Amino acid sequence: MSAKTADFEIRNLCASVEGKPILQGVSLKINKGENHALMGPNGSGKSTLANVIMGHPAYEVTGGDILFHGQNIVELEPEERARLGLFLAFQYPVAIPGVTVAKFLKTAVDAVRGVQNVKPAEFMKELRENSEYLEVDKAFLNRFMNDGFSGGEKKRMEILQMLMLKPGIAIMDETDSGLDIDALKIVSKGVNRLVGPAFGLLVITHYERILNYIKPDHLHILMQGRVVLSGGPELVKELEQKGYDWVREKFGEEVLVV
Amino acid sequence: MAVGLEQEVKNEAFVAGFDEAASRALAGESAVPALRELREVRFAEYRAVPLPTRRMEEWRRTDPARFPFERMKRLPTIPRGACAPHAWDDLFDVIVSVEDGAFDIRDRSGVLEGGQVLVAPLEQALREHADRVKPFLEKRARAEAPDKFEALGDAFWNAGFFIHVAPGVELERGVLLRYRQSGAGGILIPRVIVAVGERSRAVLVESMESPDGVELMSVVSREFHVAEGAKLQSTTLRAWGDRTVHLAGDWARLSRDARLEWITLNFGGRLTKVRFGSDGAEPGANAELDGLYFASGEQHVDQKTLQVHSSPDTYSRLLYKGVAKDKAHSVYQGQIVARPGAIRVDAYQRNNNLVLNDGARADSMPGLQIDADDLKCSHGSTVGNLDEDELFYLRCRGIDEASARKALIRGFFEDVAGRIPHECVREVVHSQVDAKIG
Ligand SMILES: Nc1ncnc2c1ncn2[C@@H]1O[C@H](COP(=O)(O)OP(=O)(O)OP(=O)(O)O)[C@@H](O)[C@H]1O
Ligand SMILES: [Mg+2]
Repeated sequence: MSAKTADFEIRNLCASVEGKPILQGVSLKINKGENHALMGPNGSGKSTLANVIMGHPAYEVTGGDILFHGQNIVELEPEERARLGLFLAFQYPVAIPGVTVAKFLKTAVDAVRGVQNVKPAEFMKELRENSEYLEVDKAFLNRFMNDGFSGGEKKRMEILQMLMLKPGIAIMDETDSGLDIDALKIVSKGVNRLVGPAFGLLVITHYERILNYIKPDHLHILMQGRVVLSGGPELVKELEQKGYDWVREKFGEEVLVV
Repeated sequence: MAVGLEQEVKNEAFVAGFDEAASRALAGESAVPALRELREVRFAEYRAVPLPTRRMEEWRRTDPARFPFERMKRLPTIPRGACAPHAWDDLFDVIVSVEDGAFDIRDRSGVLEGGQVLVAPLEQALREHADRVKPFLEKRARAEAPDKFEALGDAFWNAGFFIHVAPGVELERGVLLRYRQSGAGGILIPRVIVAVGERSRAVLVESMESPDGVELMSVVSREFHVAEGAKLQSTTLRAWGDRTVHLAGDWARLSRDARLEWITLNFGGRLTKVRFGSDGAEPGANAELDGLYFASGEQHVDQKTLQVHSSPDTYSRLLYKGVAKDKAHSVYQGQIVARPGAIRVDAYQRNNNLVLNDGARADSMPGLQIDADDLKCSHGSTVGNLDEDELFYLRCRGIDEASARKALIRGFFEDVAGRIPHECVREVVHSQVDAKIG
């Protein structure tokens, strides 16, 4: 491995919530142009990691660094991280009553990409185009964000936001959970639209299914707040067959890179 | 009998400055016998109503002694005079302005000429249209006896108006009633009676303003009669200045299949106590009641709503949403009342509050009083700060914290604000909300 720092790097990250340690030294490197998958049992800390990366105020970082383009972002506000090009597609997107999808996206795009950089007409064109691509009905754009949306509709809305914000590094926290087969294909198609040299991705999932559409180059396994195993895509099959007990028995507490 | 006498004296407690002599002086300002008679009858009613005290449930959180009647002066009957035009005038058929000691009625679209629609000061209505106004003085829109301040408004009004829409008329653009008061120390007492005839449709917007920094007072009493199959769409915007003290008692009576859409917007004022009641008096009556309030600084706003169902098969839906900030205190008291025999009633009442900081306070007391069965009633309330997860969600999309808060507070109001029929009123709401968020 070269000494060059990765585009996005987490070093020995420790975080706790209400005094309870959850992340206990997570390390991870993601370069643009790479797809990473993160798997791990329920409660192992995957969503916590995602939230900490974005700067959720409920979590306290007790150690370690998060470097984005070489800059330590641990002290930055969530909005500053988003403006640098980080994106999180939430496992449980919340509803924002009173703010329409169109208005929400306009505000977000202005904030992240800069008001001066996106003309209103251009924004509308992009929004229409991306909505069509994700087969989101136009009527949704005038509804309040996620208000009364089905689980699958909310997930699709996360990806629509991602396409509009064009992040450099994106984390998708179980975007596949709750999606029907057709929706999964559409969402994956949307994600693959961004995949390329300017985009790095971390897909958090419990299932192999989505990884058939969004091909990972690397797979990481998180257990009890640590990445215990990192490897190539072939690990997915092994995990599907043998389950997490195999990881536990085989590697115990020690961190292993295949 | 000594005891009886004492009792009588007790019941005769008057609001400072509003006694028999004041009533006689006010009656003496008019040469219309019917008005003098009416004043006398209403004064007798007012005299019999006891003064509210803090011991009464409704007044527990708003001490009636806080209303500075003794420092204020009742204004004489407001005469007709010139009032300045306003940007909204073009949007309405008729504009009633009450502005610094004068009132003015302007008919923009000629609707008053045909006689189908009557908008007149009460005195003139009593003199020239007794047949039209009398029924609505005899039959009250109130489903219950007035409290002291409502009775005061009925007896001592100094700006009274009667709006009557004949049956089968569509008053599409409707009436704008604008109160603008700027002189310190005066008590403006508007009284409005609105009667919408059978199968008619009417729109009413009321706007109340005064400058900041001027201590003045207004006491409003209003009655609305919506006849069979008629529809009244009413918006009340209270944007008083920061030292205005306001009391109001409003009642709407809905006849068979009548529909009322009422939006109340309480933003201004130092001290506000308003009561509002709708009465589903006949089957098929339908009341859609919405309210927004935003109390900031040292504002105190206390609102009581009554959804009375006197008749079976009546419907009411109420949603009041409020924000309290700084050292402000808001109170919401709601009551759904299903009278005996009012079966198959469908009533809904909800009050949601955002309290933005520790020094602010919102009290919410929804309530039911059910004396009938076979009905569907629900009520509920929430009081809480902005949702941390919603804030985080917005911030993760690049929106800074202050803007995210603003978006959530605006959004909180938006379902009701979106139902405001007039764009110009909605704009005032948005600018008031933005200014208050700071
Ligand atoms: N805000 C919080 N308050 C209290 N405990 C929390 C909070 N967030 C996470 N935790 C705890 O931290 C641990 C890790 O939770 P996390 O949501 O990160 O797991 P996960 O790996 O995403 O699980 P899943 O696969 O079920 O989504 C859990 O024990 C959880 O209860
Ligand atoms: Mg999770």
